[in-house]
Amino acid sequence: MSAIEVINLQREFQTTIGVFNRKKKIVPAVKGISFEIAGGELFGLLGPNGAGKTTSVKMLTTLLIPTGGTAKILGLDIVNDAEAVRPRIGFIFGGERGLYWRLNATDNLRYFASLYYLDPAVSKKRIPYLLEMVGLTDRADEKVEGYSRGMRQRLHIARALLHDPEVLFLDEPTMGLDPVGARELRQTVRNLQDEKKTILLTTHYMFEADALCQRVAVINKGEIVAMDTPSKLKDSVNDLSVVEIEVFGIPPETVEKIKTLSMVENVSVEDRDQLQLLLVHTSKGAEAIPLLISELNGLKLGKVTTREPTLEDAYVRLVGGE
Amino acid sequence: MTAWQRIKANLRVVFMAFEIELRQSFTDAFVLFGIIVQPTIVAFMALWMLKDQVANYAIFVVVGSAMTGLWTTLLFQGGNSITGERWTGTLEPLSCAPAPLRAVVSGKLLANITQSLLSLICCYTFISLIMGLPLTIANPGLFAGSIVLTVVAFIAFGLIIGSLFILNPDVQRFQNGLEFVVYIFSGFLFPIALLPMWTTPFSYILTPYWAARALHAASSGTGSDGEIYFCWAMLIVFSILYAIVSKFLFKSILRKAREDATLNMQ
Ligand SMILES: Nc1ncnc2c1ncn2[C@@H]1O[C@H](COP(=O)(O)OP(=O)(O)OP(=O)(O)O)[C@@H](O)[C@H]1O
Ligand SMILES: [Mg+2]
Repeated sequence: MSAIEVINLQREFQTTIGVFNRKKKIVPAVKGISFEIAGGELFGLLGPNGAGKTTSVKMLTTLLIPTGGTAKILGLDIVNDAEAVRPRIGFIFGGERGLYWRLNATDNLRYFASLYYLDPAVSKKRIPYLLEMVGLTDRADEKVEGYSRGMRQRLHIARALLHDPEVLFLDEPTMGLDPVGARELRQTVRNLQDEKKTILLTTHYMFEADALCQRVAVINKGEIVAMDTPSKLKDSVNDLSVVEIEVFGIPPETVEKIKTLSMVENVSVEDRDQLQLLLVHTSKGAEAIPLLISELNGLKLGKVTTREPTLEDAYVRLVGGE
Repeated sequence: MTAWQRIKANLRVVFMAFEIELRQSFTDAFVLFGIIVQPTIVAFMALWMLKDQVANYAIFVVVGSAMTGLWTTLLFQGGNSITGERWTGTLEPLSCAPAPLRAVVSGKLLANITQSLLSLICCYTFISLIMGLPLTIANPGLFAGSIVLTVVAFIAFGLIIGSLFILNPDVQRFQNGLEFVVYIFSGFLFPIALLPMWTTPFSYILTPYWAARALHAASSGTGSDGEIYFCWAMLIVFSILYAIVSKFLFKSILRKAREDATLNMQ
């Protein structure tokens, strides 16, 4: 039996627009996604802003009721058996909300330990253990309002682990962390996987999914557009190569023009200090360079290189650029 | 988990929520103003105006205005603390934890109410002492018993009100209306006999009405012991009834909130 089984899960939101002439508008956030996650697997849900990641996780953690489809966690229905699901899952939502800022870490955890029906004798040992695990022991008596983002994020993790759940949902756990903090957090996630927990992690960082997950589903505009192991996803762009051109002050029209070239599949521009990095996905490899340079005629150019596609490029291809 | 273990675990949640709510409010200057400064001023003005009145009229007004204060605290502090959880993003994890949200809300209400009660008792005692205007309770034993049942009854009532705040943040708009309706129909400050007859049944189903009647009778000595015991019985019956109703109300309201995505701020 798979630990998580999602079948055609959907969610719409109703929002009102306009102040005086209020109109109802239906926003489809998740449009029928399906996947299965095996016990002990670390599965990534990867997608751009607004793709429907958080909405999906909220449905799976019983915080939102789906408007269509079903899902089972450890064989339990997320709507009909919600009460049986809750003690067996843990969740964190990236960011700083969801904690009591005027309390210290220990009190935050004591409160949730009682809400998860932990025996006081158990939580007496469990809380210091978790604080140690997430590296908050020294600061445990300070109020959360004085914590850094990373510390709050780690406190979230400790809270999600209080009742030692079998299944974990981590929605953008590294959101807003500096590179060192993010790396530490990824190590924590790896350690959790070593403990055989089933983990669903969402992120919009490709390399994070690559570094952590056994399988990845790419979600875009509420739909899953690809699902495979990171290496297979990379294989899917084997036919491509990427030309990177450093260019000074490229006008948007030129970018649009390059997009229309037949050998070009995708174009994106990244801003560097005084220059821009033009990234062109093409099936032609180095052969494309002369043509591209002629399109950039008259502009000052820097380094020009070709490279193998990365998982990031596969992602860009799947979610359609930018 | 056996039924008994579950009850114990839920009681633990009530006391944890109680403790957490208190800890948070002691670091909140606004709340501290509400429980220390404001009652002191109100108590001072009430007693100053009443200093030439007969003693049992004074105690009627003191008990009545204290109940008004208690009810206001319950409605505003209790209601706002739920809205506050929505803003801090903690309402979601609270609602989707294994423990029932009702236990959490009960703990919060217990904290709000004991805080307010203690502050009222201290303020009135203190002011009456410095003004040399003794407040005598006709029947201290029954008065104390009535206070305990009042706390229980207010919590039960607060659970019904609290569920509305979980449903939707917009309920806050009706807070002021609710405040007056309840204290008029419960006879906090004047007897409900002054209201039109047809409103009486409405008063009877409000636990604060029975609480006010018991407290007024025990403090001013205007009612027999039998009447007070009758009020106690009604307080107990209605509190149990409210608790049962709130169980269903919470269930359906939490479901609605998960359908409408209102557990988190928009
Ligand atoms: N409560 C809500 N009411 C109305 N619309 C909502 C609500 N929650 C989410 N949406 C909409 O649903 C879509 C998906 O949002 P969601 O938060 O699931 O995306 P996400 O993949 O988590 O994005 P991000 O990477 O920015 O966190 C968005 O268009 C969003 O505006
Ligand atoms: Mg999100």
